[in-house]
Amino acid sequence: MHLAELDHMAGNGESFLHRANPLSKIFMTALIIAGIVISRDTARLSALLAIIMAMLLLSGNSMKELLHLAVYPVFFSSIFAAIQLQQSIQAALAIIIKATGASMALLLLISTTSYVDIFSFLSLFLPSILVDIFLFTYRSLFILFDKFENLMKSIKLKGGFHPLRLLFNIKNTAGMLGVLLIHCIDMSERMYRVYSLRGYNGRIPLVKNSRSLKPVDFMLTVGAIIILTGMVIPWSL
Amino acid sequence: MSHIHLPDGVLPFYWWAAGMAASFIITLVVLKRLKPEDVRRRIPFVGILAAFMLITMSVPLGIIPVHLSLAVLCGILAGPGLGFLAVVVVNVMLAFFGHGGITVVGINTLILGSEAVIGSYLYRILCGRIRNTAAAVLSVAASLLVSTALMVVIVGSTAGIAEALPHSGGHSEEAHMETGTETGEAPVTDESEPNVGDEAKAHIGVDSLRYLLFSGWGALFAIYIAGIAVEAAATALVVNFFLKVRPDLVMGSKGLTSSGN
Repeated sequence: MHLAELDHMAGNGESFLHRANPLSKIFMTALIIAGIVISRDTARLSALLAIIMAMLLLSGNSMKELLHLAVYPVFFSSIFAAIQLQQSIQAALAIIIKATGASMALLLLISTTSYVDIFSFLSLFLPSILVDIFLFTYRSLFILFDKFENLMKSIKLKGGFHPLRLLFNIKNTAGMLGVLLIHCIDMSERMYRVYSLRGYNGRIPLVKNSRSLKPVDFMLTVGAIIILTGMVIPWSL
Repeated sequence: MSHIHLPDGVLPFYWWAAGMAASFIITLVVLKRLKPEDVRRRIPFVGILAAFMLITMSVPLGIIPVHLSLAVLCGILAGPGLGFLAVVVVNVMLAFFGHGGITVVGINTLILGSEAVIGSYLYRILCGRIRNTAAAVLSVAASLLVSTALMVVIVGSTAGIAEALPHSGGHSEEAHMETGTETGEAPVTDESEPNVGDEAKAHIGVDSLRYLLFSGWGALFAIYIAGIAVEAAATALVVNFFLKVRPDLVMGSKGLTSSGN
């Protein structure tokens, strides 16, 4: 899932996109995805994908990581596109471009905006319970990945994993997952006690973004509106 | 197991909008019924279950072309309400990471959420009557059958039933759906009535399936049975483990007081 790499990119980048206000980036992403969903023209979709890739390049993030993540939507959309191939090649291409474009637009957002800012935006209209679950889930992912890797190493070192013994491996893996869950549950209870000591009463206070909008924010917002307009108006050269 | 990987722009607007609206309404109903002071303590636990589901869904099973979700396990451990909320979080995060489009989040939430809710209620009913492990297996099997049927109905009536097959892919030899003929426009979805092309494509999609020694419909059933069996086994093993080590965490386990929502 490359979560650590995405988190690192979002927190350590210094491009104009990283410095832009999260609200303008979320607005831009929403309009881009709307344009992708509405449009059916392959040429316009390709142009929009090119714009998204250009913005990813300008963000200064690792293109190798981001393009690696683009493989998933390309793969899954190719399956559907192959079925539609008999309809027309353009239809098949449009499906792949739509899937890739939407996915890259979201990756552009999460690789240039820290998760705290994104959840802070969500807390404006989502109930606090849901936002808290988002925050705890995000935090737990990193901890679980670490513990999972350590447990797998431990099992292999102690001879609990053999390439040719499927049932033996399944039994040990299930036990490992159980132990992992127990550790995590103990951790969650400790987390709750720690948060309670610090005054947690069912709502994690997120700092609302009070940064004023800068010229780059207006640029992103206006650019997104132009993109959406260009995608939906049936103009032709 | 029943998770739709359709990209954005494939489903007609009214389907994904209806999915979003329905899952939003259900989420609101669930939140209304939850008492914050009762569930506050369990929120970190639900976050961990959601993270566990996310990790599980990204692990390929190799010989079986589906992936586990452990949504039923989440429902059994956290209860139907919090289990549904965990599913909402999981689907939104998966969409952000590019696993499935953002527009299908609503429909995926309904499908996976149905697993968590049905599995949770079934387990509570059954564990008072049969052994807990057997109750877990039956709950998983029943809820997966329901969610798979729901997935096939939704995907089949919108994107074509061939797309509901497990990574079926493949070219369709059959002609053709209505094509858009406007210049520069390429129709992506046919939002008109399903025509004979869909049914023919479905048959061809199924006929081209190969799995182990099976082919066609046999391969399709073998894949789904294998997926359900693996998920039921994994859930039952974990529930069994919990009942030995931390029975207080299993909602509604036999002879124990359940806590939470």
